[in-house]
Amino acid sequence: MTKSFGAVRALKGVSFDLHAGEVHALLGENGAGKSTLIKVITGAHQPDGGSIKINGESVSQLTPASAHKLGIACIYQQPALFPDLTVAENIGLRLESASVFRKVNWAIRQQRAAELLKRIGAEISPDAEVRSLSMPEQQLVEIACALGAGARIVIMDEPTASLTQKEQHLLFAVVKDLRASGVGVIYISHRLEEIFALADRVTVLRDGESVGTNKVGEMNESSLIKLMVGREVSAIYPPSESAAGNVVLSLKNLGCAAGGVENISLDVRAGEIVGMAGLVGAGRTELARVIFGITPADSGEILLNGQRITISTPKEAVAHGIAYVPEDRRRHGVILEMPIAHNMTMAIHDRVFPGTWLRFGAERQLALDFTHDLGVKAYGPDAPGGSLSGGNQQKVSLARWLATKPKLLILDEPTQGVDVGAKSEIHKIIRRLAKEGLAVLMISSDLPEVLGMSDRIAVMRGGTITAMLLAKTDAHEVMAAALGKQN
Amino acid sequence: MNTDKHGFKAILLRHETILLFVVLLEWLYFNSVGPRFGSVDNTFDIMRHSVEIGLLALVMTPIILTGGIDLSVGSLLGLCAILFGKFWRDAGMSIPLAAACTIGIGALAGGLNATLITWLRLPPLIVTLGTFSLFRGLAEAITRGADTFTNFPASFLFLGQERWLGIPAQAPIFILVAIGIWLLVHRTTFGRSFRAIGFAPEGTRYAGISVERRLAMAYVLAGIIAAVAAIIYTSRLGQAKADAGMGYELFAITAVVLGGTSIFGGVGTVHGTLLGVAAIAVLNNGLVHARQPREVAGMLTGLLLILALTSSIISKMLASLNARRQTSVTKPIIT
Amino acid sequence: MKRHFRELSVAAALLVVLLGLAIVAPAFFQPQPLLSLLTREAPTLVVACGMALVIISRQIDISVGSQFAVCSVCGGLLAAKGWPLPLVFLSSVLFGAIMGAVNGWLVAGLRLPSIVVTLATMVTWREALRWQRQGEFVNLPDGLQWVGLSQIAGQWTLILAALALLVLLALATKHLSAGRFVYAVGTDAEAARLAGIRPQLTIFFVFVFMGALVGLAAMMNVVQSPQVDPKSGSGLELKVIAAAVVGGVAVSGGRGKLWGVFVGLLLLACISPALTHLHIEAYWEKAIQGAIILLAVVADGLRTRKQRN
Repeated sequence: MTKSFGAVRALKGVSFDLHAGEVHALLGENGAGKSTLIKVITGAHQPDGGSIKINGESVSQLTPASAHKLGIACIYQQPALFPDLTVAENIGLRLESASVFRKVNWAIRQQRAAELLKRIGAEISPDAEVRSLSMPEQQLVEIACALGAGARIVIMDEPTASLTQKEQHLLFAVVKDLRASGVGVIYISHRLEEIFALADRVTVLRDGESVGTNKVGEMNESSLIKLMVGREVSAIYPPSESAAGNVVLSLKNLGCAAGGVENISLDVRAGEIVGMAGLVGAGRTELARVIFGITPADSGEILLNGQRITISTPKEAVAHGIAYVPEDRRRHGVILEMPIAHNMTMAIHDRVFPGTWLRFGAERQLALDFTHDLGVKAYGPDAPGGSLSGGNQQKVSLARWLATKPKLLILDEPTQGVDVGAKSEIHKIIRRLAKEGLAVLMISSDLPEVLGMSDRIAVMRGGTITAMLLAKTDAHEVMAAALGKQN
Repeated sequence: MNTDKHGFKAILLRHETILLFVVLLEWLYFNSVGPRFGSVDNTFDIMRHSVEIGLLALVMTPIILTGGIDLSVGSLLGLCAILFGKFWRDAGMSIPLAAACTIGIGALAGGLNATLITWLRLPPLIVTLGTFSLFRGLAEAITRGADTFTNFPASFLFLGQERWLGIPAQAPIFILVAIGIWLLVHRTTFGRSFRAIGFAPEGTRYAGISVERRLAMAYVLAGIIAAVAAIIYTSRLGQAKADAGMGYELFAITAVVLGGTSIFGGVGTVHGTLLGVAAIAVLNNGLVHARQPREVAGMLTGLLLILALTSSIISKMLASLNARRQTSVTKPIIT
Repeated sequence: MKRHFRELSVAAALLVVLLGLAIVAPAFFQPQPLLSLLTREAPTLVVACGMALVIISRQIDISVGSQFAVCSVCGGLLAAKGWPLPLVFLSSVLFGAIMGAVNGWLVAGLRLPSIVVTLATMVTWREALRWQRQGEFVNLPDGLQWVGLSQIAGQWTLILAALALLVLLALATKHLSAGRFVYAVGTDAEAARLAGIRPQLTIFFVFVFMGALVGLAAMMNVVQSPQVDPKSGSGLELKVIAAAVVGGVAVSGGRGKLWGVFVGLLLLACISPALTHLHIEAYWEKAIQGAIILLAVVADGLRTRKQRN
């Protein structure tokens, strides 16, 4: 069983092969191209070049439906289930034929669901509505679907991210079971111990390229981390020039049950960039949302310049001088249909438009100033946000928040999906802001970025901060902390 | 710079401009068919008949800009009309006091819609469908289906039936409201927020704008203006009945969509809505002059609405194509 | 028990109303008026079943009242021409299906919002009919009323036919894959696409089916009187939407049971006779209907709010 392809947007000539009866682990930082690779294999994305072969036969025009027929099943991190329907029905809809006039046999559905769930050892009633299940339980239902489909290729995208210890052991048994029955498993995980426990071979991706496929037996933790981190962190990042001043933001045992973060204590000083590292799902964005009032905190305190404050809406956060450049730029950061000038003034309506009357001249001037200052490439302040490239959209999002003259700036993945040129420009801007005395909290999954930009690094894992590291630390240490390894 | 938006060709191809031509063509056609159509009297007649629907269309515009809808305005007009009559005839209020109370009721009714939509985050469609039934039902219950309020004083009927400074007396109110809503939508941060909510409600929240308060404002405003429309309606017909304004919500929505406002929110102008109202009003009146039955006008309104929707879908597809093309072309840095 | 909680609570409300009536106004339970009431509601039940499916697929159709009138008049005219009864029924169903297909094409094919599309078709059909008929009634030939049976037998036939259809549809939505597809599309169209279901096609056929049911219901109404009122069916859309929403069909799609709709409809149908028996004026009916819709959505809204927190 072989698969190989060439250039997809986020993939540069990656070759990858999977044998029957093997567990092949896929490893890499966030954004290294793992999800893209999976989407190509499941037919959700079309590759721009290269080929896919299954059992030696070339497959073209793979769609989700045809991939399904070829025996490819995927368990995504975010389950794609029907929330209003029962577990049995969810499994049924996935496994039964899509013919329209067919009698639904509930007894068989029920029985099959019960059997599959039992096989993976999940204690879930087939009658339960999926809506009422927890995230790990939903994932188990997904696994049951894949199992029931009799797939020859099973892809698991961080299946254990939200499972309990007991569920994990059950899952491992299932994976070993699958392997024994000749199924090829692609296993994606950030947990190194799982890879050593389960996988036969491991491929490491970095920046959309494969940096090598090795037998797991020939590797150790340290050599794997080295492969993942790869490049040296050096002069490409502007040097730190600022000296940290007073504490601007201070979090004391902050928690929010709905947001999944707990017991967060952290200080951010004026002129300081605190980097926030961790894996996807570690609770970093969730923490930002708590500070910004989108999912308000339910325990602990937030102190701003020593004053205790409560924030229950984004509006209040803005009034306190907190700015948040969100991760999902296209949904939350920039309104794509609106001109960039309108986008830039959105958070400062009160200030630029006293008495709520729009002042187009002042708005235009402000937009021109910011486009010039941040080097936004656009044909004018009237250009709709959607007509800009990713990097320039990010600068517009940044401009919106700089316009509020904040005391604290929270950046969430500031350079995700941004080309190299714009990336280094954004880095220079962040440095300059810190030098001007702004307190910056920078969430990033780009490890070199965290290392190159931060004065201090907070590492999150499982919804809380597990390590505070100094700037001159190395990638190995951060990755080890994020993965939950002792040094 | 900026040739894209303000060039001659672009203005010519704008939705509002095309609609203006449609209205002019309608006018010319009916003028050639019906001998009395083009007279000043008839023009004023058209104005008089379109004021109430025009007012409802004006307040519907901000709501549809936010991506919502209000099906209850026609029913609320009916409820307000008979409450106005009740206040005046049975509670013995003076006309101005009764009018003020009616407007207060309108605000309350709009507030009910607003509360259910923002506080419980229920879809506007089903909430206003419920109040659509509730308001009309209350009007019927209060009048027992038959009670009609008439014999209003001449000083009140002046508003709906006479001329003031040579123009229909209700026209100044309409013009004031039109200017007010135009300024609100096009010249204040509220209008800006309505659009932002229509494009991306979550994104607007992330920008620190209180989405709930803005939405509530749009629905309460609709209630207030529906009450104003009810008073003018009562004055124009000289009577208030429980079936006042039946089906007006449809005409209002049609005028707004015809005027170029996207039913998905975000895009649209108040002057477009005014042109939409004009197009429908001229069509309705003109068909009578062309000796066509009234029902044809109703039918054509429905068809026009479908046509306008389809064209908005097509222009949306074109716009997304355009946006994609713009991304691929490198734009000069502005300095 | 837990999964039928919403429907059972409506059934409990109905029971309370019926008990109240039994104490205060036992006259309500006289067989003949009760039979007439149920017969009147039989066509409504058929339309309500279709509306439930439309709402479950996360759409709405407010043109059903107009479709109902068009089908009634067209069917009536064909009957007056002397067409045999089964053929008249069939053509009415066909007319309905065609009008449903127009809605379906605009909604599923062009991806236009169903609320505005059906608002437009509602007024278009209604006005076209008024234009053509000018309010004129259609006189039906003898022998058509009560499908040629005696009144009692005819009434029972209609009620049983409506109930049979309800049971059939309830079974189909539960035990036929097509029925489950409607739920799947309503709960998550994208997940449905990934599972190999075609969401837009499903929605199209739901609208066609809705139209066909309206055609059938129109005929069930026509045979109850010697004439066809061209204004029949006005306000029908509200009544059936109310029945569906009260009966536990979620406007957010994907949830609801047909027997709940049945109970919801019965509850609403009791209002007007109950008002008469309680000596409250019947003019309150519409207001109470609106209040019940709001009450139902508020109850659902509060429930999801609680789940969210």
